[in-house]
Amino acid sequence: MSTVIFYVLSATALVATLLCVTRKQAVHAIVYLINALFALALMFYLLGAPLVAAWEVIIYAGAIMVLFLFIVMMFELDPAREAQRPAPARRWPVVLISAVILACSLALAFADPAGQAGVPGYYASPRAFGELMFGEYALGVEVASFLLLFAAVGAYTVGRGDEPAGGGEGRR
Amino acid sequence: MSLAELFSLLPVLVLAGASLLVLMLGLWLKHLPSLVALGVAACAAAGALAVLVPPEVMEVGGMFSAARYARFFLVLWAGVVAWTLLSSVRYAAARRFQPGEWVSLLLFAGAGMALLSAATSLVGMFLGLEAFTLVLYILIAFHRGSAAGTEAGLKYLVLGVTATAVLAFGVALVYASAGTFHLPEAMAGVAGDSPLRPLGLLGWGMLLVAIGFKVSLVPFHLWTPDVYQGAPAPVAGLLAAGSKGAMFSAVVGLLAGIGLGLRDLTPVLWALSGLSMLLGTLAALRQENVKRMLAYSSVVHMGFVLMGLLDAGPEGQEAVVFYLVFYALVSLGAFGVLTAFSGEEGEPQQLAAFRGAGYRHPFLAAALAVFMLALAGVPPTGGFMAKLGVFAAAIRAGHLPLALVGVLASLVSLVYYLKLVIAMYMSAEGAPPSGSPLHRGTRLEAACVGVCLLGVLLLGLAPGALLDWIGSLL
Repeated sequence: MSTVIFYVLSATALVATLLCVTRKQAVHAIVYLINALFALALMFYLLGAPLVAAWEVIIYAGAIMVLFLFIVMMFELDPAREAQRPAPARRWPVVLISAVILACSLALAFADPAGQAGVPGYYASPRAFGELMFGEYALGVEVASFLLLFAAVGAYTVGRGDEPAGGGEGRR
Repeated sequence: MSLAELFSLLPVLVLAGASLLVLMLGLWLKHLPSLVALGVAACAAAGALAVLVPPEVMEVGGMFSAARYARFFLVLWAGVVAWTLLSSVRYAAARRFQPGEWVSLLLFAGAGMALLSAATSLVGMFLGLEAFTLVLYILIAFHRGSAAGTEAGLKYLVLGVTATAVLAFGVALVYASAGTFHLPEAMAGVAGDSPLRPLGLLGWGMLLVAIGFKVSLVPFHLWTPDVYQGAPAPVAGLLAAGSKGAMFSAVVGLLAGIGLGLRDLTPVLWALSGLSMLLGTLAALRQENVKRMLAYSSVVHMGFVLMGLLDAGPEGQEAVVFYLVFYALVSLGAFGVLTAFSGEEGEPQQLAAFRGAGYRHPFLAAALAVFMLALAGVPPTGGFMAKLGVFAAAIRAGHLPLALVGVLASLVSLVYYLKLVIAMYMSAEGAPPSGSPLHRGTRLEAACVGVCLLGVLLLGLAPGALLDWIGSLL
């Protein structure tokens, strides 16, 4: 059964991503992307990586996408258009995709509540994951953390507003 | 991760640590020259450590090599970063770049390039590549007063992120085919008759797309002219000298591990190289903007380097590394002259702005003329030896037609390189340059350009020393 669910989810993720990149309204695109990320999380779970699945939901769908939504809302692009409610026909795809994902998660939860059956040989327990990440790949994690630090520095440097004339020296 | 491993990585740690230190100091210390001095000292320290302190282990964390090849490139990239810092002091100060961020980002770019050159695993390659590419996105858009710079940064960001996605996909497919990230074992899925060979080849194709983007091979070169034109001149120099060189130094390692599988890739590499030389040349002929011309010229040169890689033996690799060193020197020099000519506002870019420069700025113009001739491959500059090496490598590998295309591209390239020389020396006497007059250049800038000039000439007159050194690394 998990094979069937896997392919259903893959198709859902593809469709959701496709809809995401073709939407004109940013908010709609983000909602589709969140759906795609949920589908991906379930696929990671099926592949024997529960920790990555949880992170996919908590970090990507939860934190990053909500941040995106906040930013889009703060920009308030073209309020007249944003205020329009989507036509009922436009709402069906997202409802359908969400329903498929919900059905898949429920099927998984009821078929195997303990999460024991069908654990693959390459099951990545959180412990094994942590050991690999901070053992074999510790250096890679450090390089990536440096990279993210400089990404933050860059975003701050490039994104700052212009300073008033003569304010270049000694201003914080 | 043991202490011995960290110790072997010490030169890179010095660069990365110094970038953090400068970043923090930059909050209080707004004096650019002293931060630049600190940065140059860090580069010198990293270079000295790399040469003088032998590593305890040859491979760090299964990701980065500490062998002589990696150390050689570390010294080269540390030198490139120190050179960029020194030659851009006036440029950065005039445009009121944030001193702390400017120096710190350049230092971290150096660390990233050193990591990429040292990568012995696809993960290490990915991280090293992303480390300095990310810094370049920021540096290209660093001049906030420049709309062209912001546009260039955005273009490079959007296309670069796409290339990164393709690279990650490719790495995953290669991993799926071989079961390891480590090089050269990761190539096993491509080379042998393994059942997952199609996956491995597909992964390889994606790696080539990403690599082609980063070094701007046709047909992945479209970002190059716009980014070169919009980026601050010192950053464009770093992009040309460092980023492309570091990528190719890693590709040498990738292709060395592939063994017999190279036969299957040869048609693709052949086409990429030939197209880059042909289309790059045709596009460069039409340019009136010096930075755009240099961008297309870099497309042509990357085609030359790729040609050298078709010979996977040590001689081919030697030719490629020699070419990378030469190209780093000459592009730093050319963009260094552009930096020196830049005034308070803007940079001289149109050919017309260089009219008569040969008489008003004898040293800088003469240096620029030598760099142009070196890029065209005229003896006795290093360009001649570098091109000779890659042409010979292509012929050894049995690709005479490709070598002929290369020779033809070199001949035609004289036309667009000489356009600049003619503008500087042979335009009507006393014809005033259009636009704002060229800056005279400070002593420091002239000295930096002089170092490159000396290097380019030495590589042509006495290439043996460097060739022997490179031979001992491989």
